[in-house]
Amino acid sequence: MGEELTEERSNTIPIFPGTRLITNRILELRDLRKTHVRHNGNQKDDLLVLDDISFDVDEGEFVTIIGPSGCGKSTLLNIIAGMESYQGGDVVVSGHRVSTLGPDIVMIFQEDSLFPWLTVLENVAFGLRNKGMPKEERKKTAMKYIELVQLEQFAHSYMHQLSGGMKQRVAIARGLAMNPRILLMDEPFGALDYRTREILQGQIQEIHEKTKKTILFVTHDVREAVSLGDRVILLSHRPSKIKREYAIDLPRPRSAEDPQLHGLINEIQRQLKEEVKFAEPNGTGISA
Amino acid sequence: MQSQTEQESAPSSSFKTKKLDFTSLLDIIIGAVIFFAGWQAVFWLHLYPSFLFPSPLMVLERLIFLAKSPNPKFNLGASTLITMERLAAGFTISVGLGTGVGMVMVHFRRFGRTMNSFCVGLQSYPSIAWVPFAILIVGLNNYGIVFVVVISSVFSMMVSTYSSLRNIPPIYVKAARNMGEGGVSLFKNVMLPASFPSLITGIRQTWSFAWHALIGAEILMATIGLGALLELGADFAEMNQIIAAMVIIFIIGFAVDRVLFSMVEDRVRTKRGLNQIPT
Repeated sequence: MGEELTEERSNTIPIFPGTRLITNRILELRDLRKTHVRHNGNQKDDLLVLDDISFDVDEGEFVTIIGPSGCGKSTLLNIIAGMESYQGGDVVVSGHRVSTLGPDIVMIFQEDSLFPWLTVLENVAFGLRNKGMPKEERKKTAMKYIELVQLEQFAHSYMHQLSGGMKQRVAIARGLAMNPRILLMDEPFGALDYRTREILQGQIQEIHEKTKKTILFVTHDVREAVSLGDRVILLSHRPSKIKREYAIDLPRPRSAEDPQLHGLINEIQRQLKEEVKFAEPNGTGISA
Repeated sequence: MQSQTEQESAPSSSFKTKKLDFTSLLDIIIGAVIFFAGWQAVFWLHLYPSFLFPSPLMVLERLIFLAKSPNPKFNLGASTLITMERLAAGFTISVGLGTGVGMVMVHFRRFGRTMNSFCVGLQSYPSIAWVPFAILIVGLNNYGIVFVVVISSVFSMMVSTYSSLRNIPPIYVKAARNMGEGGVSLFKNVMLPASFPSLITGIRQTWSFAWHALIGAEILMATIGLGALLELGADFAEMNQIIAAMVIIFIIGFAVDRVLFSMVEDRVRTKRGLNQIPT
Protein backbone atom coordinates (compact mmCIF):
# COMPACT_ATOMS: atom_id res chain seq x y z
CA MET A 1 0.00 0.00 0.00
CA GLY A 2 3.01 2.21 0.30
CA GLU A 3 3.06 3.45 -3.28
CA GLU A 4 2.42 7.00 -4.34
CA LEU A 5 -1.01 8.14 -3.37
CA THR A 6 -2.34 10.02 -6.32
CA GLU A 7 -5.64 11.79 -6.52
CA GLU A 8 -7.38 8.47 -7.18
CA ARG A 9 -7.09 6.00 -4.31
CA SER A 10 -5.09 2.99 -5.35
CA ASN A 11 -7.01 0.66 -3.08
CA THR A 12 -10.54 1.46 -4.12
CA ILE A 13 -12.91 0.46 -6.88
CA PRO A 14 -14.82 3.26 -8.62
CA ILE A 15 -18.56 2.70 -8.52
CA PHE A 16 -20.18 6.10 -8.68
CA PRO A 17 -17.93 7.92 -11.11
CA GLY A 18 -18.64 11.58 -11.33
CA THR A 19 -20.00 11.96 -7.84
CA ARG A 20 -17.21 14.30 -6.88
CA LEU A 21 -17.98 16.60 -9.79
CA ILE A 22 -21.35 17.38 -8.32
CA THR A 23 -20.60 17.83 -4.62
CA ASN A 24 -17.62 17.93 -2.31
CA ARG A 25 -19.06 14.90 -0.56
CA ILE A 26 -16.28 12.80 0.86
CA LEU A 27 -18.08 9.92 2.54
CA GLU A 28 -21.37 8.25 1.69
CA LEU A 29 -22.91 5.38 3.59
CA ARG A 30 -25.70 3.60 1.76
CA ASP A 31 -27.94 1.15 3.64
CA LEU A 32 -25.06 -0.23 5.65
CA ARG A 33 -25.88 -3.51 7.39
CA LYS A 34 -23.66 -5.37 9.79
CA THR A 35 -24.28 -8.61 11.66
CA HIS A 36 -22.12 -10.17 14.33
CA VAL A 37 -22.05 -13.94 14.72
CA ARG A 38 -23.06 -14.66 18.28
CA HIS A 39 -21.97 -17.88 19.96
CA ASN A 40 -24.61 -19.12 22.32
CA GLY A 41 -23.37 -22.35 23.84
CA ASN A 42 -23.02 -24.54 20.77
CA GLN A 43 -25.58 -22.54 18.82
CA LYS A 44 -24.62 -19.78 16.48
CA ASP A 45 -26.91 -17.01 15.49
CA ASP A 46 -26.59 -13.70 13.75
CA LEU A 47 -27.03 -10.52 15.70
CA LEU A 48 -27.97 -7.48 13.68
CA VAL A 49 -25.80 -4.58 14.83
CA LEU A 50 -26.17 -1.90 12.17
CA ASP A 51 -29.45 -1.73 10.31
CA ASP A 52 -29.58 0.30 7.10
CA ILE A 53 -27.36 3.15 8.14
CA SER A 54 -27.19 5.89 5.50
CA PHE A 55 -25.60 9.29 5.80
CA ASP A 56 -23.25 11.60 3.93
CA VAL A 57 -20.31 13.63 5.12
CA ASP A 58 -19.00 16.65 3.23
CA GLU A 59 -15.36 17.54 2.95
CA GLY A 60 -14.15 19.49 5.99
CA GLU A 61 -17.17 18.62 8.10
CA PHE A 62 -16.89 17.71 11.78
CA VAL A 63 -19.51 15.07 12.47
CA THR A 64 -20.08 13.52 15.87
CA ILE A 65 -21.85 10.21 16.34
CA ILE A 66 -23.58 9.47 19.62
CA GLY A 67 -25.60 6.54 20.83
CA PRO A 68 -26.23 4.30 23.83
CA SER A 69 -23.38 1.99 24.76
CA GLY A 70 -23.31 -1.24 22.79
CA CYS A 71 -25.09 0.32 19.82
CA GLY A 72 -22.27 -0.31 17.36
CA LYS A 73 -20.68 3.14 17.13
CA SER A 74 -17.17 1.72 17.16
CA THR A 75 -18.17 -0.99 14.70
CA LEU A 76 -19.36 1.74 12.35
CA LEU A 77 -15.97 3.48 12.49
CA ASN A 78 -14.12 0.19 12.05
CA ILE A 79 -16.13 -0.47 8.90
CA ILE A 80 -15.36 2.97 7.49
CA ALA A 81 -11.67 2.43 8.28
CA GLY A 82 -11.79 -0.88 6.40
CA MET A 83 -10.96 -2.88 9.51
CA GLU A 84 -14.23 -4.79 9.70
CA SER A 85 -16.43 -6.40 7.09
CA TYR A 86 -20.06 -5.57 6.48
CA GLN A 87 -22.94 -7.59 5.12
CA GLY A 88 -24.90 -5.14 3.05
CA GLY A 89 -24.84 -1.69 1.55
CA ASP A 90 -21.93 0.48 0.49
CA VAL A 91 -19.27 2.63 2.06
CA VAL A 92 -18.13 5.15 -0.53
CA VAL A 93 -15.18 7.47 -0.03
CA SER A 94 -14.78 10.20 -2.66
CA GLY A 95 -16.86 8.16 -5.09
CA HIS A 96 -14.92 4.94 -4.50
CA ARG A 97 -15.99 1.93 -2.50
CA VAL A 98 -13.78 1.15 0.47
CA SER A 99 -12.28 -2.27 -0.13
CA THR A 100 -9.10 -2.54 1.92
CA LEU A 101 -7.27 -0.79 4.66
CA GLY A 102 -5.55 2.32 3.53
CA PRO A 103 -3.72 5.24 5.06
CA ASP A 104 -6.33 7.60 3.57
CA ILE A 105 -8.63 7.01 6.49
CA VAL A 106 -6.88 7.11 9.81
CA MET A 107 -8.33 6.13 13.16
CA ILE A 108 -7.51 7.52 16.57
CA PHE A 109 -8.34 5.02 19.28
CA GLN A 110 -9.51 5.42 22.83
CA GLU A 111 -6.90 2.96 24.05
CA ASP A 112 -3.26 3.87 24.11
CA SER A 113 -2.09 2.82 20.65
CA LEU A 114 1.25 4.65 20.65
CA PHE A 115 4.39 2.55 20.37
CA PRO A 116 6.30 2.58 23.67
CA TRP A 117 9.62 1.71 21.99
CA LEU A 118 9.60 4.91 19.93
CA THR A 119 9.91 8.55 20.89
CA VAL A 120 7.11 11.05 20.27
CA LEU A 121 8.82 12.17 17.06
CA GLU A 122 9.33 8.61 15.84
CA ASN A 123 5.73 7.73 16.66
CA VAL A 124 4.35 10.66 14.69
CA ALA A 125 6.68 9.95 11.75
CA PHE A 126 5.88 6.22 11.82
CA GLY A 127 3.21 6.05 9.11
CA LEU A 128 5.00 8.46 6.77
CA ARG A 129 7.52 5.84 5.70
CA ASN A 130 4.73 4.02 3.90
CA LYS A 131 4.11 7.16 1.88
CA GLY A 132 7.60 6.95 0.44
CA MET A 133 8.75 10.15 2.09
CA PRO A 134 12.52 10.64 2.55
CA LYS A 135 13.81 10.63 6.11
CA GLU A 136 14.44 14.35 6.53
CA GLU A 137 11.02 15.24 5.19
CA ARG A 138 9.36 12.70 7.49
CA LYS A 139 11.05 14.32 10.43
CA LYS A 140 10.03 17.81 9.32
CA THR A 141 6.43 16.82 8.70
CA ALA A 142 6.22 15.02 12.04
CA MET A 143 7.67 18.03 13.83
CA LYS A 144 5.10 20.31 12.21
CA TYR A 145 2.25 18.25 13.68
CA ILE A 146 3.95 17.91 17.04
CA GLU A 147 4.07 21.69 17.13
CA LEU A 148 0.39 21.80 16.19
CA VAL A 149 -0.46 19.83 19.32
CA GLN A 150 2.14 21.86 21.28
CA LEU A 151 4.38 19.03 22.36
CA GLU A 152 7.65 20.19 20.75
CA GLN A 153 9.51 20.09 24.05
CA PHE A 154 8.53 16.40 24.39
CA ALA A 155 9.54 15.38 20.86
CA HIS A 156 12.28 13.10 22.14
CA SER A 157 10.42 11.70 25.15
CA TYR A 158 9.14 8.17 25.41
CA MET A 159 5.46 7.36 25.96
CA HIS A 160 5.70 6.50 29.65
CA GLN A 161 7.05 9.97 30.33
CA LEU A 162 3.80 11.57 29.11
CA SER A 163 0.44 12.04 30.81
CA GLY A 164 -2.75 10.54 29.40
CA GLY A 165 -3.80 13.80 27.75
CA MET A 166 -0.39 14.33 26.20
CA LYS A 167 -0.46 10.79 24.80
CA GLN A 168 -3.79 11.44 23.11
CA ARG A 169 -2.35 14.64 21.61
CA VAL A 170 0.54 12.59 20.21
CA ALA A 171 -2.02 10.17 18.77
CA ILE A 172 -3.85 13.09 17.15
CA ALA A 173 -0.56 14.41 15.72
CA ARG A 174 0.24 10.94 14.39
CA GLY A 175 -3.15 10.72 12.72
CA LEU A 176 -2.94 14.19 11.21
CA ALA A 177 0.63 13.64 9.95
CA MET A 178 -0.72 10.88 7.74
CA ASN A 179 -2.73 13.62 6.02
CA PRO A 180 -5.79 11.38 5.75
CA ARG A 181 -8.92 12.31 3.83
CA ILE A 182 -10.98 11.38 6.84
CA LEU A 183 -9.91 11.31 10.46
CA LEU A 184 -11.90 8.84 12.54
CA MET A 185 -11.89 9.31 16.30
CA ASP A 186 -13.26 6.54 18.49
CA GLU A 187 -13.99 8.09 21.89
CA PRO A 188 -10.47 9.51 21.94
CA PHE A 189 -10.97 11.43 25.19
CA GLY A 190 -13.04 8.72 26.89
CA ALA A 191 -10.27 7.61 29.24
CA LEU A 192 -9.23 11.11 30.32
CA ASP A 193 -10.25 13.16 33.32
CA TYR A 194 -12.83 15.92 32.99
CA ARG A 195 -10.43 18.85 32.97
CA THR A 196 -8.01 17.34 30.42
CA ARG A 197 -10.95 16.37 28.25
CA GLU A 198 -12.20 19.95 28.20
CA ILE A 199 -8.77 21.23 27.17
CA LEU A 200 -8.49 18.69 24.39
CA GLN A 201 -12.03 19.47 23.20
CA GLY A 202 -10.88 23.05 22.74
CA GLN A 203 -7.71 21.98 20.97
CA ILE A 204 -9.39 19.60 18.55
CA GLN A 205 -11.72 22.43 17.49
CA GLU A 206 -8.75 24.72 16.86
CA ILE A 207 -6.98 21.97 14.93
CA HIS A 208 -10.11 21.45 12.86
CA GLU A 209 -10.29 25.17 12.11
CA LYS A 210 -6.63 25.19 11.05
CA THR A 211 -6.48 21.98 9.02
CA LYS A 212 -10.10 21.76 7.76
CA LYS A 213 -9.92 17.97 8.11
CA THR A 214 -13.03 15.87 7.75
CA ILE A 215 -13.54 14.38 11.20
CA LEU A 216 -15.91 11.63 12.28
CA PHE A 217 -15.98 11.57 16.05
CA VAL A 218 -17.69 8.88 18.12
CA THR A 219 -18.59 9.62 21.72
CA HIS A 220 -21.09 8.66 24.38
CA ASP A 221 -20.87 12.09 26.00
CA VAL A 222 -23.72 14.33 24.85
CA ARG A 223 -21.98 17.55 25.86
CA GLU A 224 -18.88 16.55 23.93
CA ALA A 225 -20.91 15.59 20.85
CA VAL A 226 -22.77 18.91 20.86
CA SER A 227 -19.81 21.16 21.51
CA LEU A 228 -17.63 19.57 18.81
CA GLY A 229 -19.91 18.64 15.91
CA ASP A 230 -21.15 20.63 12.96
CA ARG A 231 -23.64 17.83 12.93
CA VAL A 232 -24.62 15.27 15.55
CA ILE A 233 -25.88 11.88 14.43
CA LEU A 234 -27.86 10.05 17.08
CA LEU A 235 -27.95 6.26 16.79
CA SER A 236 -30.67 4.13 18.32
CA HIS A 237 -30.15 1.05 20.44
CA ARG A 238 -29.17 -2.17 18.65
CA PRO A 239 -29.98 -2.91 15.88
CA SER A 240 -28.80 0.63 15.30
CA LYS A 241 -30.59 2.96 12.97
CA ILE A 242 -30.10 6.66 12.66
CA LYS A 243 -32.62 8.10 15.08
CA ARG A 244 -32.06 11.80 14.60
CA GLU A 245 -29.63 14.22 13.05
CA TYR A 246 -28.97 17.67 14.44
CA ALA A 247 -27.15 20.42 12.58
CA ILE A 248 -25.38 22.91 14.86
CA ASP A 249 -24.55 26.23 13.33
CA LEU A 250 -22.81 28.12 16.10
CA PRO A 251 -19.43 29.86 15.94
CA ARG A 252 -16.33 28.08 17.27
CA PRO A 253 -14.67 27.51 19.62
CA ARG A 254 -17.70 26.41 21.52
CA SER A 255 -18.09 24.84 24.89
CA ALA A 256 -20.89 22.78 26.34
CA GLU A 257 -21.52 25.66 28.76
CA ASP A 258 -22.90 27.77 25.90
CA PRO A 259 -26.54 28.56 26.90
CA GLN A 260 -27.63 28.17 23.29
CA LEU A 261 -26.70 24.50 23.49
CA HIS A 262 -28.62 23.70 26.67
CA GLY A 263 -31.89 22.96 24.94
CA LEU A 264 -30.19 20.65 22.48
CA ILE A 265 -28.24 18.82 25.19
CA ASN A 266 -31.45 18.18 27.13
CA GLU A 267 -33.25 17.04 24.00
CA ILE A 268 -30.50 14.55 23.05
CA GLN A 269 -30.21 13.31 26.62
CA ARG A 270 -33.96 12.64 26.66
CA GLN A 271 -33.70 10.74 23.37
CA LEU A 272 -30.81 8.68 24.70
CA LYS A 273 -32.67 7.80 27.88
CA GLU A 274 -35.50 6.50 25.78
CA GLU A 275 -33.03 4.24 23.95
CA VAL A 276 -31.51 2.91 27.14
CA LYS A 277 -35.00 1.87 28.24
CA PHE A 278 -35.21 -0.40 25.20
CA ALA A 279 -31.92 -2.03 26.04
CA GLU A 280 -32.20 -5.58 27.31
CA PRO A 281 -31.45 -5.77 31.02
CA ASN A 282 -28.63 -8.26 30.43
CA GLY A 283 -26.67 -7.25 27.38
CA THR A 284 -25.07 -9.61 24.92
CA GLY A 285 -21.52 -8.58 25.60
CA ILE A 286 -20.92 -6.87 22.25
CA SER A 287 -18.90 -3.80 22.99
CA ALA A 288 -19.76 -0.38 21.66
CA MET B 1 -3.70 27.39 23.31
CA GLN B 2 -4.76 26.49 26.81
CA SER B 3 -2.49 23.55 27.30
CA GLN B 4 0.02 25.00 29.73
CA THR B 5 -1.66 23.71 32.87
CA GLU B 6 -1.76 20.23 31.50
CA GLN B 7 1.89 20.17 30.58
CA GLU B 8 2.87 21.26 34.02
CA SER B 9 0.98 18.41 35.59
CA ALA B 10 2.72 15.84 33.39
CA PRO B 11 4.70 13.22 35.30
CA SER B 12 8.34 14.12 35.68
CA SER B 13 10.60 12.41 33.23
CA SER B 14 13.43 11.81 35.65
CA PHE B 15 13.80 8.25 36.80
CA LYS B 16 16.87 6.38 37.92
CA THR B 17 18.40 3.48 36.08
CA LYS B 18 19.83 0.67 38.16
CA LYS B 19 23.55 1.07 38.56
CA LEU B 20 26.24 -0.74 40.48
CA ASP B 21 26.52 1.82 43.24
CA PHE B 22 28.83 1.80 46.24
CA THR B 23 26.51 0.00 48.69
CA SER B 24 25.73 -2.90 46.36
CA LEU B 25 29.45 -3.23 45.60
CA LEU B 26 30.13 -3.33 49.33
CA ASP B 27 27.46 -6.02 49.76
CA ILE B 28 29.13 -8.14 47.10
CA ILE B 29 32.53 -7.76 48.79
CA ILE B 30 31.11 -8.65 52.21
CA GLY B 31 29.34 -11.68 50.72
CA ALA B 32 32.53 -12.89 49.03
CA VAL B 33 34.61 -12.44 52.21
CA ILE B 34 32.10 -14.47 54.26
CA PHE B 35 32.02 -17.17 51.60
CA PHE B 36 35.81 -17.56 51.39
CA ALA B 37 36.22 -17.33 55.17
CA GLY B 38 33.64 -20.11 55.63
CA TRP B 39 35.40 -22.25 53.02
CA GLN B 40 38.76 -21.71 54.70
CA ALA B 41 37.24 -22.52 58.13
CA VAL B 42 35.84 -25.84 56.88
CA PHE B 43 39.27 -26.61 55.38
CA TRP B 44 40.91 -25.99 58.77
CA LEU B 45 38.48 -28.41 60.44
CA HIS B 46 40.18 -31.20 58.40
CA LEU B 47 36.95 -33.12 57.91
CA TYR B 48 38.35 -34.34 54.59
CA PRO B 49 41.93 -34.84 53.47
CA SER B 50 43.26 -31.75 51.70
CA PHE B 51 43.37 -33.39 48.23
CA LEU B 52 39.60 -33.95 48.52
CA PHE B 53 38.78 -30.59 50.04
CA PRO B 54 41.40 -28.00 49.04
CA SER B 55 41.63 -24.50 50.46
CA PRO B 56 40.81 -21.42 48.37
CA LEU B 57 44.52 -20.75 48.03
CA MET B 58 45.20 -24.23 46.62
CA VAL B 59 42.46 -23.69 44.03
CA LEU B 60 43.98 -20.34 43.14
CA GLU B 61 47.38 -21.99 42.70
CA ARG B 62 45.82 -24.57 40.39
CA LEU B 63 44.09 -21.81 38.43
CA ILE B 64 47.44 -20.10 37.89
CA PHE B 65 49.00 -23.42 36.92
CA LEU B 66 46.20 -24.11 34.43
CA ALA B 67 46.47 -20.61 33.02
CA LYS B 68 50.20 -21.13 32.35
CA SER B 69 49.98 -24.76 31.18
CA PRO B 70 51.44 -25.34 27.68
CA ASN B 71 49.28 -28.46 27.22
CA PRO B 72 46.07 -27.31 25.45
CA LYS B 73 44.10 -30.01 27.29
CA PHE B 74 44.90 -28.28 30.55
CA ASN B 75 45.38 -24.70 29.41
CA LEU B 76 42.67 -22.55 30.89
CA GLY B 77 42.61 -20.03 28.03
CA ALA B 78 42.41 -22.67 25.32
CA SER B 79 39.72 -24.61 27.21
CA THR B 80 37.63 -21.53 27.83
CA LEU B 81 37.98 -20.38 24.23
CA ILE B 82 36.82 -23.66 22.72
CA THR B 83 33.91 -23.87 25.18
CA MET B 84 32.84 -20.35 24.27
CA GLU B 85 33.12 -21.15 20.56
CA ARG B 86 30.83 -24.15 20.95
CA LEU B 87 28.44 -22.07 23.01
CA ALA B 88 28.40 -19.24 20.46
CA ALA B 89 27.73 -21.66 17.60
CA GLY B 90 25.00 -23.59 19.43
CA PHE B 91 23.31 -20.54 20.92
CA THR B 92 23.29 -18.63 17.62
CA ILE B 93 21.76 -21.57 15.77
CA SER B 94 19.17 -22.04 18.53
CA VAL B 95 18.11 -18.40 18.60
CA GLY B 96 17.98 -18.13 14.79
CA LEU B 97 16.19 -21.42 14.20
CA GLY B 98 13.92 -21.01 17.23
CA THR B 99 12.83 -17.52 16.21
CA GLY B 100 12.20 -18.66 12.64
CA VAL B 101 10.12 -21.67 13.61
CA GLY B 102 8.33 -19.61 16.30
CA MET B 103 7.27 -17.11 13.63
CA VAL B 104 5.97 -19.90 11.40
CA MET B 105 4.06 -21.27 14.42
CA VAL B 106 2.32 -17.91 14.88
CA HIS B 107 1.42 -17.78 11.21
CA PHE B 108 -0.04 -21.28 10.94
CA ARG B 109 -2.37 -21.66 13.90
CA ARG B 110 -2.81 -25.43 13.94
CA PHE B 111 0.88 -26.10 13.37
CA GLY B 112 1.63 -23.63 16.16
CA ARG B 113 -0.68 -25.29 18.67
CA THR B 114 0.63 -28.79 17.94
CA MET B 115 4.27 -27.68 17.84
CA ASN B 116 3.82 -25.76 21.10
CA SER B 117 2.78 -28.81 23.12
CA PHE B 118 5.48 -30.85 21.41
CA CYS B 119 8.11 -28.24 22.33
CA VAL B 120 6.99 -28.06 25.94
CA GLY B 121 7.46 -31.83 26.16
CA LEU B 122 10.90 -31.69 24.56
CA GLN B 123 11.95 -28.77 26.73
CA SER B 124 11.71 -30.87 29.88
CA TYR B 125 13.67 -33.72 28.27
CA PRO B 126 17.10 -33.90 30.04
CA SER B 127 19.83 -32.54 27.77
CA ILE B 128 22.36 -35.20 28.77
CA ALA B 129 19.94 -37.84 27.53
CA TRP B 130 20.57 -36.56 23.99
CA VAL B 131 24.27 -37.48 24.22
CA PRO B 132 24.09 -41.16 23.13
CA PHE B 133 21.82 -40.18 20.25
CA ALA B 134 24.22 -37.39 19.22
CA ILE B 135 27.32 -39.60 19.44
CA LEU B 136 25.87 -42.17 17.05
CA ILE B 137 24.12 -39.91 14.58
CA VAL B 138 26.51 -36.91 14.50
CA GLY B 139 29.70 -38.26 15.99
CA LEU B 140 31.94 -37.86 18.99
CA ASN B 141 33.22 -34.46 17.90
CA ASN B 142 32.48 -30.73 18.05
CA TYR B 143 29.44 -31.10 15.81
CA GLY B 144 28.03 -33.67 18.17
CA ILE B 145 28.46 -31.30 21.11
CA VAL B 146 26.89 -28.38 19.22
CA PHE B 147 24.05 -30.69 18.24
CA VAL B 148 23.33 -31.45 21.91
CA VAL B 149 23.46 -27.71 22.73
CA VAL B 150 21.05 -26.81 19.92
CA ILE B 151 18.57 -29.60 20.52
CA SER B 152 18.47 -28.80 24.24
CA SER B 153 17.78 -25.11 23.80
CA VAL B 154 16.05 -24.55 20.47
CA PHE B 155 12.60 -25.64 21.69
CA SER B 156 12.68 -23.12 24.48
CA MET B 157 13.35 -20.40 21.90
CA MET B 158 10.46 -21.63 19.72
CA VAL B 159 8.02 -21.58 22.62
CA SER B 160 9.07 -18.13 23.81
CA THR B 161 8.98 -16.61 20.32
CA TYR B 162 5.54 -18.11 19.81
CA SER B 163 4.13 -16.82 23.08
CA SER B 164 5.88 -13.42 22.84
CA LEU B 165 4.41 -12.73 19.43
CA ARG B 166 0.97 -13.95 20.41
CA ASN B 167 0.90 -11.72 23.48
CA ILE B 168 1.48 -8.44 21.65
CA PRO B 169 -1.33 -6.01 22.52
CA PRO B 170 -3.61 -6.21 19.45
CA ILE B 171 -4.04 -2.43 19.46
CA TYR B 172 -0.45 -1.94 18.21
CA VAL B 173 -1.01 -4.16 15.20
CA LYS B 174 -4.40 -2.55 14.58
CA ALA B 175 -2.96 0.95 14.69
CA ALA B 176 -0.01 0.01 12.46
CA ARG B 177 -2.27 -1.60 9.87
CA ASN B 178 -4.42 1.49 9.96
CA MET B 179 -1.32 3.46 8.96
CA GLY B 180 -0.74 1.20 5.97
CA GLU B 181 1.76 -1.14 7.56
CA GLY B 182 1.74 -4.80 6.49
CA GLY B 183 3.76 -7.90 5.72
CA VAL B 184 7.46 -8.01 6.53
CA SER B 185 7.51 -4.34 7.44
CA LEU B 186 4.73 -4.84 10.02
CA PHE B 187 6.69 -7.70 11.50
CA LYS B 188 9.99 -5.84 11.60
CA ASN B 189 8.73 -2.45 12.75
CA VAL B 190 5.89 -3.38 15.07
CA MET B 191 5.61 -7.01 16.08
CA LEU B 192 9.28 -7.58 16.81
CA PRO B 193 9.86 -4.44 18.91
CA ALA B 194 6.49 -4.90 20.63
CA SER B 195 7.42 -8.41 21.71
CA PHE B 196 11.04 -7.57 22.56
CA PRO B 197 10.81 -7.31 26.38
CA SER B 198 9.29 -10.76 26.55
CA LEU B 199 11.53 -12.11 23.78
CA ILE B 200 14.67 -11.12 25.68
CA THR B 201 13.47 -13.21 28.64
CA GLY B 202 13.10 -16.13 26.24
CA ILE B 203 16.60 -15.58 24.84
CA ARG B 204 17.96 -15.53 28.36
CA GLN B 205 16.26 -18.82 29.16
CA THR B 206 17.53 -20.32 25.90
CA TRP B 207 21.06 -19.29 26.83
CA SER B 208 20.65 -20.96 30.20
CA PHE B 209 19.46 -24.23 28.61
CA ALA B 210 22.33 -24.07 26.11
CA TRP B 211 24.94 -23.45 28.80
CA HIS B 212 23.72 -26.35 30.97
CA ALA B 213 23.68 -28.71 28.00
CA LEU B 214 27.12 -27.61 26.81
CA ILE B 215 28.97 -28.36 30.05
CA GLY B 216 27.18 -31.70 30.36
CA ALA B 217 27.99 -32.65 26.79
CA GLU B 218 31.63 -31.57 27.24
CA ILE B 219 32.05 -33.83 30.27
CA LEU B 220 30.89 -36.80 28.24
CA MET B 221 32.03 -35.95 24.72
CA ALA B 222 34.97 -33.51 24.73
CA THR B 223 38.71 -33.85 25.13
CA ILE B 224 39.28 -30.09 25.40
CA GLY B 225 37.00 -27.58 27.10
CA LEU B 226 35.84 -26.54 30.55
CA GLY B 227 33.68 -29.66 30.84
CA ALA B 228 36.66 -31.79 29.84
CA LEU B 229 38.73 -30.04 32.50
CA LEU B 230 36.18 -31.16 35.11
CA GLU B 231 36.24 -34.70 33.79
CA LEU B 232 40.07 -34.78 33.75
CA GLY B 233 40.09 -33.56 37.33
CA ALA B 234 37.84 -36.47 38.33
CA ASP B 235 39.98 -38.94 36.37
CA PHE B 236 43.15 -37.86 38.18
CA ALA B 237 41.47 -37.15 41.54
CA GLU B 238 42.49 -33.48 41.29
CA MET B 239 39.84 -31.76 43.34
CA ASN B 240 41.58 -28.38 43.12
CA GLN B 241 41.29 -28.59 39.31
CA ILE B 242 37.62 -29.53 39.53
CA ILE B 243 36.88 -26.59 41.76
CA ALA B 244 39.02 -24.30 39.57
CA ALA B 245 36.95 -25.28 36.52
CA MET B 246 33.73 -24.86 38.54
CA VAL B 247 34.79 -21.34 39.46
CA ILE B 248 35.42 -20.42 35.82
CA ILE B 249 32.07 -21.94 34.77
CA PHE B 250 30.35 -19.98 37.51
CA ILE B 251 32.05 -16.73 36.49
CA ILE B 252 31.08 -17.12 32.82
CA GLY B 253 27.47 -17.94 33.71
CA PHE B 254 27.32 -15.03 36.08
CA ALA B 255 28.86 -12.59 33.62
CA VAL B 256 26.62 -13.52 30.70
CA ASP B 257 23.37 -13.67 32.64
CA ARG B 258 23.79 -11.01 35.30
CA VAL B 259 25.84 -8.54 33.31
CA LEU B 260 25.11 -8.95 29.59
CA PHE B 261 21.44 -9.99 29.53
CA SER B 262 20.55 -8.07 32.63
CA MET B 263 21.91 -4.87 31.11
CA VAL B 264 20.04 -5.31 27.82
CA GLU B 265 16.81 -6.17 29.62
CA ASP B 266 17.19 -3.28 32.02
CA ARG B 267 17.80 -0.82 29.24
CA VAL B 268 14.75 -1.99 27.29
CA ARG B 269 12.54 -1.92 30.34
CA THR B 270 13.69 1.53 31.40
CA LYS B 271 13.11 2.97 27.93
CA ARG B 272 9.55 1.69 28.00
CA GLY B 273 8.85 2.75 31.55
CA LEU B 274 8.52 -0.79 32.90
CA ASN B 275 11.16 -0.26 35.58
CA GLN B 276 9.45 2.38 37.64
CA ILE B 277 7.96 0.15 40.29
CA PRO B 278 10.55 -0.32 43.03
CA THR B 279 11.21 -3.99 43.63
